[in-house]
Amino acid sequence: MKERYKKYIVEIPEEMSIPYAGIVESPKVNGEQPMMLTGGWRIYRPVVDHDKCVMCKSCVLACPDATVLLVDGGQKIGFNLDYCKGCGLCTWVCPVNAIDRVPEIDFEDGVPFQDALFLLPHVEALYAD
Amino acid sequence: MAEQYKDKKEEILKETVKMTGYEDAGFDWKSEKRVGATKFLTGLGAVAHALKMADIDVASSYPIRPYTGAMMMLSQMAARGELDVEFVHGEGEHGQLGIAHGASAAGARAFTGSSGVGVMYAMEVYSPISGGRCPVQMLIGNRTLDPPGDFGSEHTDALSTRDQCWIMGWAHTPQEAFDNTLMYYRIGEDPRVYLPQMNCQDGYFITHIPMKVVVPTQEKVDKFLPPLSFPDALDPLNPLGHGPQLFPGQGHVLEATRVNAMMGAFPVIDEVVQSFNSIFETNYSPFVDLYRCEDAEYVLFISGGHAYTAKFAINHMREKGMKIGLVRPRFIRPWATDVLADILSKFKAIGVVETNNAFGAARQAGILTLEVATTLYQIPNKPVLTAFMGGLGGEVIRLDEFYYMGDVLAKAAKEGKTERTAYWIGFHNI
Amino acid sequence: MTTLLEEQVQAKVDLPLLQNIHKAAALDEIYVPGHRTCAGCGPALAYRLTCKAAGQNSIFLGPTGCMYVANTSYLCVPWAVPWMHTQITDGGAVASGISAAYEARIRKGKYKGTFPNIYVFAGDGGSSDIGLQAASAMIYRDHDAIFVCYDNEQYANTGIQTSPQTPYGAWTTFTPPGPKIPEAKKLWPKDFARGMIALHPALQYVAAASISYPVDLMNKVRKCANVHGSALIHIQSICPKGWGIRSNQTLMVGKLAVETGMFHLFEYENREYTYQYQPKAFKPVTEYLKLQDRFAHLKPEHHAKIQEFVNQGLKRCGIKIPVEAV
Repeated sequence: MKERYKKYIVEIPEEMSIPYAGIVESPKVNGEQPMMLTGGWRIYRPVVDHDKCVMCKSCVLACPDATVLLVDGGQKIGFNLDYCKGCGLCTWVCPVNAIDRVPEIDFEDGVPFQDALFLLPHVEALYAD
Repeated sequence: MAEQYKDKKEEILKETVKMTGYEDAGFDWKSEKRVGATKFLTGLGAVAHALKMADIDVASSYPIRPYTGAMMMLSQMAARGELDVEFVHGEGEHGQLGIAHGASAAGARAFTGSSGVGVMYAMEVYSPISGGRCPVQMLIGNRTLDPPGDFGSEHTDALSTRDQCWIMGWAHTPQEAFDNTLMYYRIGEDPRVYLPQMNCQDGYFITHIPMKVVVPTQEKVDKFLPPLSFPDALDPLNPLGHGPQLFPGQGHVLEATRVNAMMGAFPVIDEVVQSFNSIFETNYSPFVDLYRCEDAEYVLFISGGHAYTAKFAINHMREKGMKIGLVRPRFIRPWATDVLADILSKFKAIGVVETNNAFGAARQAGILTLEVATTLYQIPNKPVLTAFMGGLGGEVIRLDEFYYMGDVLAKAAKEGKTERTAYWIGFHNI
Repeated sequence: MTTLLEEQVQAKVDLPLLQNIHKAAALDEIYVPGHRTCAGCGPALAYRLTCKAAGQNSIFLGPTGCMYVANTSYLCVPWAVPWMHTQITDGGAVASGISAAYEARIRKGKYKGTFPNIYVFAGDGGSSDIGLQAASAMIYRDHDAIFVCYDNEQYANTGIQTSPQTPYGAWTTFTPPGPKIPEAKKLWPKDFARGMIALHPALQYVAAASISYPVDLMNKVRKCANVHGSALIHIQSICPKGWGIRSNQTLMVGKLAVETGMFHLFEYENREYTYQYQPKAFKPVTEYLKLQDRFAHLKPEHHAKIQEFVNQGLKRCGIKIPVEAV
């Protein structure tokens, strides 16, 4: 029986294989989903002035992408620039105007809009061959 | 009144069982050594009893005749405490299937069911369930689609969903409905398959007519049907994402994996039916039920309950010397192309008794004709193929109508052709 | 060190309410970075805050909508908890099934953990339009699950079409303004949350929250989770693309919606409403409308009509602060 019905089975080449039933593993808590890097979308980069910052953490809860981080043992505000889309909500929500929006082009490692995607190491690796 | 029959219960049962004519219909009870309590059950009752023994976790209901009785019996079992089941009242068939989908995805053995237009209302959800590889079982008590609000049995409802990757087949007696319920769960829950199943039976003819059913012991059922193991279930202890969007160029791969699950079910069905036969001492053949086919020249091809009447008719026609037999597929999905091609190639003429209608289809017959014609395509000397449109709108197919079909087939076998691609029963034969 | 999940698996505990923004910010990130939602996406923020409040012993369901498609493109899932796609039509039904499955499996000793919190994260279409039947049925059957309506007031996934939550006068691709129909959308929106309260008298907890008030939103989510039975939360989630605002204006517009009385923050508990925003005076709706391109075509008479509608709504809620149209 098995032999007879072999002809109906679609042989799927290794390189085309996909997760069973499209079921995928979830990312880790407090982790990242590196399959979808979005830092390359950014035109303005958030830059925090630590002298002005009062650590009210409003910006932490204002980010749709969870890219506003508490760094230095929770003492300072930092950004996860691999994913920050540069929407500017952290800047808007800041009560003391401590977060500036600086054009990406002003940074040496800034992401020019067109080529942004390929400057991110993960994505570059994906398109390597 | 009841007092009068109190002592005669056994006797009445025996008499009634005899009246249903199992032996006359060629059931090989003598070689089957079924052990268990003999009950007198309708098709729905048989399924409800099987579900109780399968220890289902979640049932979702919505009333529509004729399948409703199964849910009524399940709710009684739940109320009496005989079956520990979460009995959820769906808001419609669409919701019913959604509930079953969720329950199955969360690792529960789920059951649902419907009939007629209800089957169609849930249409959206069939593909996500089979795509998510959730082994839900659905009972379909066939009912004619509207118009005109017809209650009768017609297979068009279930057959319209045949391409949604659900295992599908028809029972032709309550006993088979009982057995199929267990077999389908075992097939669908096999890790090589993981597919939902449609356990179909003709409305009224099977769902509502009581017949003898041998109910086996719980130990045997437990031996046959292990508890569901579903490793990808939704579980906070093992977080997984079910059903994200794919990359472009992966959609067809996902479909191919579903094809492989469906076609990979062939060896599993073979295995499961053999295991069923050895545990319950029955003699089912996995894919096709043959009746008096050994020296037959022409056969009726029937799926479902009308095969039962046809068996009587064939006996009568055989007495007259006609070389007629009956081929009844036990599964419509997956369609056993090779097995059927082997069998059907031996005959001179085949008459597909459709109890469904495919408006405007090739040959303007029903859905089964299309399948049979495709199956015959690979045979060098093709038999004559015609269809009999009977049982539409829930009409009974009477013995004399089967005799008429026999005459048409005898003529076709002799002449090597038929006048029509489809004969409408009750039209040409009057 | 035991994780939150291990603790919850041992014994289900109520989620404590958050006293301040610091407590809220310190919670684990369940909805992690790496999803294709637009910059400044309101629904994504609603998702993140809901997940953050929900914690690890949760299952999320995503009926089809922008929060399904944008979040899960290319085999990605940004949720650190189990998530499943459902049809846009049957989010409530699938949640019912999962809830029933866990009831049965825990009772029968087939599952070792505690009952998870099940969240349906449906858009306004998936809850108040095509998904209404399933949502209502889930709440009617009182399954232990939480129905979250993230309301961006349109069908955004398909490219901004009108939904029953789209306000009067809004441009969508199905309701463009023109000389014959100067006000674009002519119909008044459904009042989803209050409608569900009216329809389900036994419903224990309902809340309306806004992404612009994150701690309030997260506490409302936690109250939903702590209810034994169904709970409903309606979250106004501003869509920069569909509403015609800049990506950094999302929170400002959300705040203005509350400050003008266009959206009410409320809780419904013990059969009583409480309103979280009761200022001395509401701002005129024009301030809210003029910010958004989707209302750019409106004339003063339309503004007046909307103001009248808002005033009536406030009056009905018992908030007696009439505002004159400007």
